[in-house]
Amino acid sequence: MAAVQGGQADAEEIKIKDIKTESPGDGSGNNNANDGSKLSVSPGITNSGGSNKPSAGATEEQQTLLAVLQFLRKNNLTESVEILRREAGLSEETEERKGLESSGSGSVAGAGNVDAEAGDSNSLLNRVSVSSSAIPASAAPTQSKAVAGEDQPDVNVVLSAYSQQGDPTLYQVYYSSLKRFIESVLDCHRAELSQLFYPLFVHMYLELVYNNHENEAKAFFEKFSGDQECYYEDDLRVLSGMTKKEHMRGNETLLDFRTSKFVLRISRDSYQLLKRHLQERQNNQIWNIIQEHLYIDIFDGMPRSKSQIDAMSGSLAGEAKREANKAKVFYGLLKEPEIEVPLDDEDEEAENEEGKPKKKKPKKDSMGSKSKKQDPNAPIQNRIPLPELKDSDKLDKIMYMKEATKRIRLGSDTLPSICFYSFLNAYQGLTAVDFTDDSSLIAGGFADSTVRVWSVTPKKLRKVKSASELSLIDKESDDVLERIMDEKTASESKILYGHSGPVYGISFSPDRNYLLSSSEDGTVRLWSLQTFTCLVGYKGHNYPVWDTQFSPYGYYFVSGGHDRVARLWATDHYQPLRMFSGHLADITCTRFHPNSNYVATGSSDRTIRLWDVLNGNCVRIFTGHKGPIHALAFSPNGKFLASGATDGRVLLWDIGHGLMIGELKGHTDTIYSLKFSRDGEILASGSMDNTVRLWDAMKAFDDLETDDFTAATGHIHLPENSQELLLGSYMTKSSPVIHLHFTRRNLLLAAGAYNP
Amino acid sequence: MATPKSVPKDAQVMIQILKDMGITEYEPRVINQMLEFTYRYVTTIIEDAKLYATHAKKSNVDADDIKLAIQCRMDQSFTSPPPRDFLLEVARQKNQTPLPLIKPYTGPRLPPDRYCLTATNYRLKSIQKKVTPSAGRITVPRLSVGAVASRPTTPTLGTPSVQSVTTKVGAPISLTGQRFTVQIPTPQTTVSKTATSSAPTVQNVLINPSLIGSKNILITTNMVSQNSASESLKRKHEDDDDYDTL
Repeated sequence: MAAVQGGQADAEEIKIKDIKTESPGDGSGNNNANDGSKLSVSPGITNSGGSNKPSAGATEEQQTLLAVLQFLRKNNLTESVEILRREAGLSEETEERKGLESSGSGSVAGAGNVDAEAGDSNSLLNRVSVSSSAIPASAAPTQSKAVAGEDQPDVNVVLSAYSQQGDPTLYQVYYSSLKRFIESVLDCHRAELSQLFYPLFVHMYLELVYNNHENEAKAFFEKFSGDQECYYEDDLRVLSGMTKKEHMRGNETLLDFRTSKFVLRISRDSYQLLKRHLQERQNNQIWNIIQEHLYIDIFDGMPRSKSQIDAMSGSLAGEAKREANKAKVFYGLLKEPEIEVPLDDEDEEAENEEGKPKKKKPKKDSMGSKSKKQDPNAPIQNRIPLPELKDSDKLDKIMYMKEATKRIRLGSDTLPSICFYSFLNAYQGLTAVDFTDDSSLIAGGFADSTVRVWSVTPKKLRKVKSASELSLIDKESDDVLERIMDEKTASESKILYGHSGPVYGISFSPDRNYLLSSSEDGTVRLWSLQTFTCLVGYKGHNYPVWDTQFSPYGYYFVSGGHDRVARLWATDHYQPLRMFSGHLADITCTRFHPNSNYVATGSSDRTIRLWDVLNGNCVRIFTGHKGPIHALAFSPNGKFLASGATDGRVLLWDIGHGLMIGELKGHTDTIYSLKFSRDGEILASGSMDNTVRLWDAMKAFDDLETDDFTAATGHIHLPENSQELLLGSYMTKSSPVIHLHFTRRNLLLAAGAYNP
Repeated sequence: MATPKSVPKDAQVMIQILKDMGITEYEPRVINQMLEFTYRYVTTIIEDAKLYATHAKKSNVDADDIKLAIQCRMDQSFTSPPPRDFLLEVARQKNQTPLPLIKPYTGPRLPPDRYCLTATNYRLKSIQKKVTPSAGRITVPRLSVGAVASRPTTPTLGTPSVQSVTTKVGAPISLTGQRFTVQIPTPQTTVSKTATSSAPTVQNVLINPSLIGSKNILITTNMVSQNSASESLKRKHEDDDDYDTL
């Protein structure tokens, strides 16, 4: 050993660097003499080596070693600690000096582990504190044991983004000074810069909590929480309940808030002002926080007014970046297949010349595009695979077209009649309702985990006979489809048992063969409406699933729940085909676009996202609601989206441009259902305030101007015309309106539970 | 007895908590439910902490034990959804695979049977009928192999679902290394409406493969067709064809 040591006197420096880069505890004992005297030389060389070119690599490795050391020490593996330290050539002085260098102030405790921690946090601190060299030493000891020791690496990676940025007692000072600055600024800039308050406040508060400065955190909260905008009240209340670091661990939404960047859109002038002010000050902790946690999307142009900002803000992630809404969205409708309507019916209606069906052209579907050319805004037919039409589907389509001819054209002067289906004796257990498209069946999901299906028409519900009875029927007869139905157990309603938790979402398939239900037990169940039994349970969400919907063409369905992802499934795959992940909080509402190529999801983080089914990308983010979104509706032409939330407002969005184009105020409580009439002229909204309101959608979409400036900057000018657009407001006795449905002839059906 | 007008202290605390969290409207039973939950949660944690303290040979429960108890309980009962970066990664991988093409003309589109709930949730019981030793000295206890014709005393063979025999062997038969020939005579009378009444000799034996391998039993049975409902349905056509009368 000694000989080896002696022989490498020259190359000692290099060797020692090599030692650092080797993993500790290896057989690197050759150079690492158990010779204490040699070791005392090495720290010096190490340190000087640390300042050389490969210093970056060396210090990284150094820190890794220090981290491992700390881990071993924590687990009381003292012998291993000794061995590692010896072999890696580290010593108490090394660690201490490293700690001194980084933390910059002298009050580092002599204890090794503190310095090791400081060494660990080197990278984090160095990245952040560019200018300040006087980070108080209080930073070091309070650096959490978040590295390596604890058992949840994901969470700790996230939480360790909160390295201490400054003296806790000074936070109030920083915030107040920023507040004073913003108040002193010109009016036109003030509104924009005031957007900074909320994210800064939350991030600073959480940093204090995370670093265990409970008292300072509480004082900070009390002093400044009152200044925030009123629509952040719910968030602030949640925050006020979190005073310890352990509280943060269970709250996924706030953890996501930490890691994602809060987006602010500020004009260039305002931004310059802010930057100048912050950079000229000594303690630009705020500047550090801004750089780390906020994303400032700068645009050139006039600063926005307070009302414009208020309209778009309110979500948990700030606003949407401009690039987020720039992707091309194919919002057009798919071409309807051309189906020939049988001509004998035509003759009955038309009463024209008889008997020359050849002359009279078969009626094409009135919804199909008149031109043969592809609509540039529509997706191509096979962009996503869709099931082909079966014969029964074709029959359905023919029925649909016949009904469409008898449809009433609605407008501001012809309002629809509304028929309300009250669920009696539901005892507040009714949680979801759906109608079939031809309005012949209603399904209700209940809090007692049952699903009940009723027949709206006089025709009773029948299920298919059992296998033994089926063997007895004559299969060749014409009415075999009626013979397979069991008359003995026909009834007005059927109850479906299977879920083990309240049923929150219900959806009929377009061909009326299946029913989907999603529940708090985390599963989505597919029921057959021919046998009234459960066919499949789709497991994937392990947390309550708040909503589910079949695609307009069947086969696909989407579900969204508490785990913040929406999943796209196909009925014949037991695992989801697509996962739409990106929301910060639970997904409360999922809807398909009429062309089945896009899915809209509304969430508790107060944003709506539009996802592309083909590749799972988020193509639009719509912010502006001030509460969790509970209702979404696409207009029948596919161009617009309406959304309703707990704040009682209905917002209208232009999908193509990605802008908000209208706001309908009037409801006083959460809006749980939205539906466009069959031709898109009227929008009906139902709410917890026991009313159904009808809005003039045609007018709302007519007067929008989307010039280039608006599209480019996203500045919106919302006309205050809610009153003009309101066509009627209809109260129920005391039943919140949970679901709305326009029949094929434009009669409005509403459903809710009677709640005395 | 004067009913106590004041609310107990615990309930007062709970009311205050609800107020602090901004919940203003609630049914009165919510307080009871919250208190029950609190009581249950706290006692669980403290019991767990006591266990950990005794395990660490400490006489008193201290803060570390409580912390550990809380942590374990959180991971077990109060799990939270996965973190965002994990979800984004999983989603990215999942979204890369193209959407599968849809096969045409396939009837109801459901996942493979093992993922569906369409299987029967019952299994038909085997009939434990003794075989009378008319065939000779062999007493084969409880052979329920294939469609063994049982000798019912009551003519119930007509009805499908009553006697049904499964291919599962009820009890392990401890016959080894011997060769048996069991002949079960045809049941007299009875039976059936269909043409399969006359029982054939060796017919439709469903022998449990495991039985064959180790035990060297050759069994010839006479099967009466309608022994199991499912079977009879399946084999209807074959039965019609295969029968040869005795």
